[in-house]
Amino acid sequence: MTSMEKRLQKELQALTKDPPAGVIVNTESVSQNMSEWIVDLYGAPGSLYDGEKFQLSFKFSPRYPFDSPQVMFIGPNIPVHPHVYSNGHICLSILTDDWSPALSVTSVCLSIVSMLSSCQEKKRPPDNAIYVKTCSKNPKKTRWFYHDDTV
Amino acid sequence: MGNCLKAQSADDISLLRGSETQDGNDQALGPPPPYQERVAPRAPIYYPSPNVSRPANLLTEDEQVKIAKRLGLIVHLPCGVYDGCSKKGKECAICMCDFVMGESLRFLPCMHTYHKDCIDDWLMRSFTCPSCMEPVDAALLTSYETS
Ligand SMILES: [Zn+2]
Ligand SMILES: [Zn+2]
Repeated sequence: MTSMEKRLQKELQALTKDPPAGVIVNTESVSQNMSEWIVDLYGAPGSLYDGEKFQLSFKFSPRYPFDSPQVMFIGPNIPVHPHVYSNGHICLSILTDDWSPALSVTSVCLSIVSMLSSCQEKKRPPDNAIYVKTCSKNPKKTRWFYHDDTV
Repeated sequence: MGNCLKAQSADDISLLRGSETQDGNDQALGPPPPYQERVAPRAPIYYPSPNVSRPANLLTEDEQVKIAKRLGLIVHLPCGVYDGCSKKGKECAICMCDFVMGESLRFLPCMHTYHKDCIDDWLMRSFTCPSCMEPVDAALLTSYETS
């Protein structure tokens, strides 16, 4: 097993054994070599996304955890949020510039849940239309300028 | 679709491989991507920043200086062997494995401890502690001044 597979194996065990609220990893989606996962996210009670279900796709390079995972929303329900584009791309600094190998699938999911929970108004990013038309399929290829974190 | 601008970072196309091979639409758009990255690189790969990888012979002058500096600084960080003393932490946050007696460790100025191999790999990309994000070189310089 490679070190990437070993570490993801541990993460998967921890996440299935002791999942944080609103985060459920779809164990059947996990590919043989661990490089692709799908995680179900549930909008936190009391937040604007209460009762909604979302799907996050994770893709890991062989250099994980030194390389950040490629993370985006997929499926029929993409949250309407000022940092989430309608193609599922997420503007979140820990997914690129602020990534650290001490972060994990769990910590990424928790950041996204808290990003959703703190939302005051459901709307798309102001540059959604142009971004979705011109961006790469891989959100990690985007040179994000990070919107302020207070939204 | 298909008009994706190449304006974004041209680094590390290897990550795209997963999505492209899986997604049939892409193949129809043009010639298959040249799988250059499969050819064993002759020059070692360096990471001037976490998201930028380059073979040694293609580094810019600035990047060469940056990497030489890092190599120089890394050797000043204390290392040791795990002696079972739990005060230094029990687990490496990078590989998420418990330390085993006799393994080589490296101690950062912020008091976080990692396997030597794990942290050295990261420090060559970014000179920050993965756990607390403390810049390692700043702390290193202060410790020089105070000692
Ligand atoms: Zn380690
Ligand atoms: Zn630290």
